[in-house]
Amino acid sequence: MLARVTHALHRFAEAVAALLLAVIFIAFMVQVVMRYVFNSPVGWTTEVSLTAWLWLVLWGAAFVLKDDEEIRIDFFADHGGRRWRRAVGALGAVSVILLFALSLPASWAYVSFMKVEKSAYLGIRLDWLYSIYLVFAVAVIARCLRQLICGPAPLAANPSAPLSAT
Amino acid sequence: MNFTSPFSLTLYTIVALSLLGVPIGHAMIAGSVLYLYAKGMDMGTAAEQLLNGTYSSFLLLAIPLFILAATIMTTGSILDRLLRFCNALVGRFPGGLAQVNVLQSVVFASMSGSALADAAGSGKIMQGMMTREGKYTPGFAAALSAVSAVIGPILPPSIPLVLYALVSGTSIGHLFMGGVLPGLLLGAVQMGLIYFLAKRRGFPVEPRVPLRDMPRITGEAFPALMLPVILLGCLYSGITTPTEAAGVAAAYALLLSAGLYRSMGWADLYGALLSSARMSISIGMLIAGALVFNYVIVSENIPATLSVMLKGLDLSPLAFLLLVNVLLLVLGAFLEGSTIILIILPVLLPTAVALGIDPVHFGVVTVLNIMIGLVTPPYGLLLFMMTKVANVSLGVLVRETLPFLAVMLGALALVTVWPSLVLALPRLAGYTG
Repeated sequence: MLARVTHALHRFAEAVAALLLAVIFIAFMVQVVMRYVFNSPVGWTTEVSLTAWLWLVLWGAAFVLKDDEEIRIDFFADHGGRRWRRAVGALGAVSVILLFALSLPASWAYVSFMKVEKSAYLGIRLDWLYSIYLVFAVAVIARCLRQLICGPAPLAANPSAPLSAT
Repeated sequence: MNFTSPFSLTLYTIVALSLLGVPIGHAMIAGSVLYLYAKGMDMGTAAEQLLNGTYSSFLLLAIPLFILAATIMTTGSILDRLLRFCNALVGRFPGGLAQVNVLQSVVFASMSGSALADAAGSGKIMQGMMTREGKYTPGFAAALSAVSAVIGPILPPSIPLVLYALVSGTSIGHLFMGGVLPGLLLGAVQMGLIYFLAKRRGFPVEPRVPLRDMPRITGEAFPALMLPVILLGCLYSGITTPTEAAGVAAAYALLLSAGLYRSMGWADLYGALLSSARMSISIGMLIAGALVFNYVIVSENIPATLSVMLKGLDLSPLAFLLLVNVLLLVLGAFLEGSTIILIILPVLLPTAVALGIDPVHFGVVTVLNIMIGLVTPPYGLLLFMMTKVANVSLGVLVRETLPFLAVMLGALALVTVWPSLVLALPRLAGYTG
């Protein structure tokens, strides 16, 4: 039951990410068409695509990417037996939990302070817009906790499409 | 340098966490938080740098759009059409399919900005084609797919060059122009080497494609071949910004795939969006981490300090470039390419500029170097990937890669000592550097 719920949630998170990318793309098309076809440039498209980009990255890092899809160095951590991977993973997880938790109150303070500003075209309060960082930070902590308790996720059998941009 | 200063502790933390397998972006955020804490500064600065940096960088939007364009181009029938076209063109030469592999890399390089994506997509297919019926050994085919993928991010569009534009403030348009000749040079030296190897090792020749079939094959591939022309046209003429050009490229790819060739349905489109989103997220997260860590580097005044130190050595610009090349090749053996561009290059750039090295030339040389690092043992991401894709041992793969590595390093040396190779095209387009 729990597995089915998490699976459904993951599919939902993926759909949101795909949608955010589509928003970036469509906003761009509107911008290009308005500027070069109708000769009346609009500003809100830039803001929409930048907002979608910010949310795509942080939402995706929080809920969509699996640990081994992130850009990371695996030659030390992933080579070795299960106990080795568990020990190495635990050490990394504890450090990340400590440092992210340490900065969480200050991050909260920064994000909530941004309520004084609004985005230029759409007038969205920046504390709302930036709140995705807090979601991301909490998700990183939660995922590290899960790794501590359940051990590292099994490695993908054939990661033939590495998620690096170079 | 003080080895117990907050900055040193930050460096140790980032290196240690990365080695422990923590994603590098997360490691840079965590390390920077430690720096802020140790310095008694506001730890909310990490969030501030990440959010403002990501939210204000219009330039970076080119990355998801270029990724989307390349993903759409490799789904559906476009890939087949382009491969048939390449085969008709160079299949008849000694080492025919091997030549096709390099040529298709050049063609795909002008549509995609990522070497790993090229190797995983068309490189994987070519490796399969070359080994079918035992024409080539799996090791040679895999090595060739790996080295030819290196051309991908040198020819525009190029995600590494977008990243360099971000950290250096150089124009993406000029950088893209600068990559054209070095990218073609890389293809030429590889094809030359294959020609030579084909005679020695007796590589097979593909059946000649009759001349009367050429118009049909060219016609089928023509709309897809127009993508690089449109892209370069947009950049060269300056009618659109590079980010908008990326959007236009994605729209054109979609139009071809879904409209003209009818080889893409809604499910394919969703798949392309999702896989592009995944790739964009992982690179976006790395950039986000680098934005935070760069704040630390700038607070410590590292680039200026290094610049003064290196100027004290009284290096000639050429000696400096050669030194940088060696440094990057060594670093590339341990670090992922985009990390080097985002973290190491901003530290070296002020020195390069102070020595009178052109920033566009510097960018293309360093990116070329870092891409060659992807096939340099012991830690070359492209090598690792091809061992998995082609199921060959790393030892065999490395042995087959070495001759190609040698000619590519030769090309790198040429590009390093001869700036005009990079700067000629940007200057034609109005670059005044």
